[in-house]
Amino acid sequence: MEAINEMIFLAGLLLLLAILAGRISSRLGAPLLLVFLGLGMLAGEDGPGGIHFGDFKLAYLFGSTALAVILFDGGLRTHTDTFRLARWPALSLATAGVLITAVVTGALVCLVMGVGWKEGFLVGSIIASTDAAAVFFLLNLRGLALRGRVSATLEVESGLNDPMAVLLTLLAVTILISPAGVEPLHLLLELIQQMVGGVIFGVAAGYALVWLVNRLDLADGLYPILALSFSLFVFGGAQAAGASGFLAVYLAGLILGNRPHKADRLIRRFHDGLAWLAQIGLFVMLGLLVTPSLLGPYLLSGTLVALGLMLVARPLAVFASLLPFRFTLTELTYISWVGLRGAVPIVLAAIPVLAGVPNAQAYFAVAFVVVLLSLLIQGWTVGPSARLLGLLAPPQPEPPSRADVDLPDGSGQLAVFTVARDSEAAKRGRGKLIIPESVQLLALIQNGRPVRPEDAHRLQPGDTVLAMGDGSALAVMDRLFGRKVDTFDEDRPAGDFQIQGDMPAMAVGGMYGFDAGDDPTQTLSDLIRRRLGHDPSLGDRVRVGEMELIVVSLKAGEAEVVGIDLTPPATGWAGFRQQLQAYGTRIRRRLSKPRHRQEAGGD
Amino acid sequence: MNDLLTPEAILPNLKAGSKKQVLQELAKKAADLTGQHERAIFDVLVERERLGTTGVGRGIGIPHGKLPGLSNVMAIFARLEKPVDFEAIDEQPVDLICMLLAPEGAGADHLKALARVSRALRDPLLCDKLRGAESGDALYALLAQTEQVNAA
Repeated sequence: MEAINEMIFLAGLLLLLAILAGRISSRLGAPLLLVFLGLGMLAGEDGPGGIHFGDFKLAYLFGSTALAVILFDGGLRTHTDTFRLARWPALSLATAGVLITAVVTGALVCLVMGVGWKEGFLVGSIIASTDAAAVFFLLNLRGLALRGRVSATLEVESGLNDPMAVLLTLLAVTILISPAGVEPLHLLLELIQQMVGGVIFGVAAGYALVWLVNRLDLADGLYPILALSFSLFVFGGAQAAGASGFLAVYLAGLILGNRPHKADRLIRRFHDGLAWLAQIGLFVMLGLLVTPSLLGPYLLSGTLVALGLMLVARPLAVFASLLPFRFTLTELTYISWVGLRGAVPIVLAAIPVLAGVPNAQAYFAVAFVVVLLSLLIQGWTVGPSARLLGLLAPPQPEPPSRADVDLPDGSGQLAVFTVARDSEAAKRGRGKLIIPESVQLLALIQNGRPVRPEDAHRLQPGDTVLAMGDGSALAVMDRLFGRKVDTFDEDRPAGDFQIQGDMPAMAVGGMYGFDAGDDPTQTLSDLIRRRLGHDPSLGDRVRVGEMELIVVSLKAGEAEVVGIDLTPPATGWAGFRQQLQAYGTRIRRRLSKPRHRQEAGGD
Repeated sequence: MNDLLTPEAILPNLKAGSKKQVLQELAKKAADLTGQHERAIFDVLVERERLGTTGVGRGIGIPHGKLPGLSNVMAIFARLEKPVDFEAIDEQPVDLICMLLAPEGAGADHLKALARVSRALRDPLLCDKLRGAESGDALYALLAQTEQVNAA
C-alpha cells in the first residue's frame, strides 16, 4: 500500500516539476523536450532521484501509447491545406528518405562501432525517422513562422515517416535473430501491407469517428474520451492486423480535425492537454529508462553517429528524395538540418532489447546519445538557423482574441474583443478609434470593472471591449484590436513594395521591367504558381529579372499579396555568406541598441 | 540622392487632405521641374497605385511609375503638414513621401533608384530626423547625406 502511494506521489511530483522546469526553460530558449528528458535522467538511478526503472516492456507499451496520442493530436492540428501542399514531398521523405537515411547511417555505424552490416542497418533504422512530437512542438513555437511549404513538409513528414522506420527496425531484428534470412519479395509485400493497411484503417476510422461524434448524443466531457478511445482502438487494431498503427492514427486525426463536427473545440482542447501529458510522460520515462553511467563507453561512437546522421545521411536523404519537388538550396539545407530525432528512436531501440538481440543495450545507448545530441544541437537551432537561411515567412496580422455570441433574434452578433499589444486601439485610445457605423460599443472592461465606452479614453492591452453589430462589420474591427504587422521586420522580409496577386502579370512586368509572358489573362499569382511548379505558399520566392517576388499572404490557394524584393539575396554560396554577414550585423545591432528596436517596432 | 533629387524637388510642408490630392501636388511639382504634362504624370502614379498601394508602412509612401518622354530618373520628396490616409499596408496615415519617376526605357536604373529610396526610408533614425527637420534645405541635406553613406 505504502509503495503505491509513493508511486502516485512521485508521478505527480515529476509532472509538476516537468511543467515548472518547462516554464523556466522557455525563457532560456532550451528545447523543452530535452528538459523533460533531463528531468527523467535526474530522477533516475544515477541522479538525485535514485528511481530504478529498467522495464523495457512497460516502456515500450507506454511509449507506443504516448506516440499514438501525440500522432493523433498532430493529425488534428494538421490543416488539410498543409497536408495537400506537402503530401508528395513528405511521402517521398517518409519512404525513400527514411530508407536512404537508414542505409547511409547504417554504413557509418559499421565503420564507427566496428559491427557487421546487419547490426549497422538495425541502428540506422532505429534512428531513421524524424520525431513527430519534437517537430510539431518546435515548429509551432510562438513566433517561428517558416516559409509555408518548408514547415508543411517537415510537419507532414514527421507524421508519416514512423511506419517506415518501425518496419525497417522490425526487419533488421528479424534478419538478426532468424538464421534462415528473409525473402526480399516477402519484405516488399510486408511494407505494402503496412502502408496500405495503415491508410485503410486510418481513413475508415477517421470518417467513422466523425460520423459517431455527429450521431451520438453524449455529455460534453465524453466526446474527447470517445476520440481518445477510438484513436487507441485504431492504433492497436491496425498494429494487431499487421498494418501501421502510427500511420492510421495520424490519418484518423487528420480527418477528424478537418471535417465539420459538433465537438471540434472540445476534442481539440482535451487532446492538446493530453498530447502535452504524453510528451512529458514519454520523455521523462525515457530519461528514467536510460542509465547514464552505462552511456559512457558509447558517448564517442554515439556522437560520431549523430554527426554523421546530421551532416551526411540526412542531407543525402533529403536532397535525393526531394529532387523532383523543386525546393531551393536554402530550403533543402534547412529541411536537412531540422531532421529532429526524438522519442521514436528510443522507443524503437527497445524492440531489439525485447527481442533478445545480442548487444542490444549498446544500440540502445547509441540511439539515446544520437537523440540527445539531435535535440540539443538541432532542437536549439531550429529558430536561429531559419533566420540565418532567410526562411521565415512574411509577418501575418494577428487577429485579436475574440468571442462571439449570436443574438437570439438573428439580428446580429455580440462580440467580445481583447485589445492586443501593438494594436491600433491600444495606440489611439477610444476617442480616435474609427468604428464602423453599424457597430455599437456596449461596454469596456478595464481591470475587471465595467466602464461605459463614453467614459473610457485610453485603452490598454488586455482590456475587453463588448460590441454589437453584424458579422462583417465586426470582422473589420479585428484590425483595430488585433496586433499589427511590422512591415519593416528584417527577419521577415515582405519586399520593398506590395502588389495585389490578382493583378495582370503583364502590367506588373511592364512596370518593373521583367518578362511576364504574353498572356493578358495571367495574374501575378498564376505567374508565381507556374514558375514555382506548385501552389504558392507563404514566403515562396520567385526570381524575375533582377528582383524577386515574395508570396506575402494567401487567400484560397492564391497569392493575395505579392512583395517585390528589389535587392534579393544572392543565390548559392555567395548568398549564404551575404546572409551570414547581415545576420551578424543584425544581432550586433540588437545587442547594442535593444531599446531602439523596441521603439521602432512600436511606432 | 543627389543624382535623383535637387533642392527644388523638396516640398517641406505640403498641405493635402487626401491621397489623391497628394498625388496631384506631386504631379504638379514634377511637371514644373520636367516640363512634362501634369495630367500624364498623375495618371502614371494612379495606375501604379491600382496594382497595390505604395504606402509601405510606418508613415512612408513611395509612389512611382514610368513616364515616356522623361530624360532621366528623378525624385520629389514631400513632407506632409498633416498625415493622410494613403491606404498603406499597415493602415497608418502617411506623412513622408518620396516620389520616383523613370523614363520608359530606364530598366535597371529605375529599379536601383527605387531600391535606394526604399532602403534609405526604412531607417527609422533617418525618418525621425526628416520629421524633425526645420527647413527644406535641412531635408535636402539629410537625404543627400544618406545617399553618400549608403554608397560608401
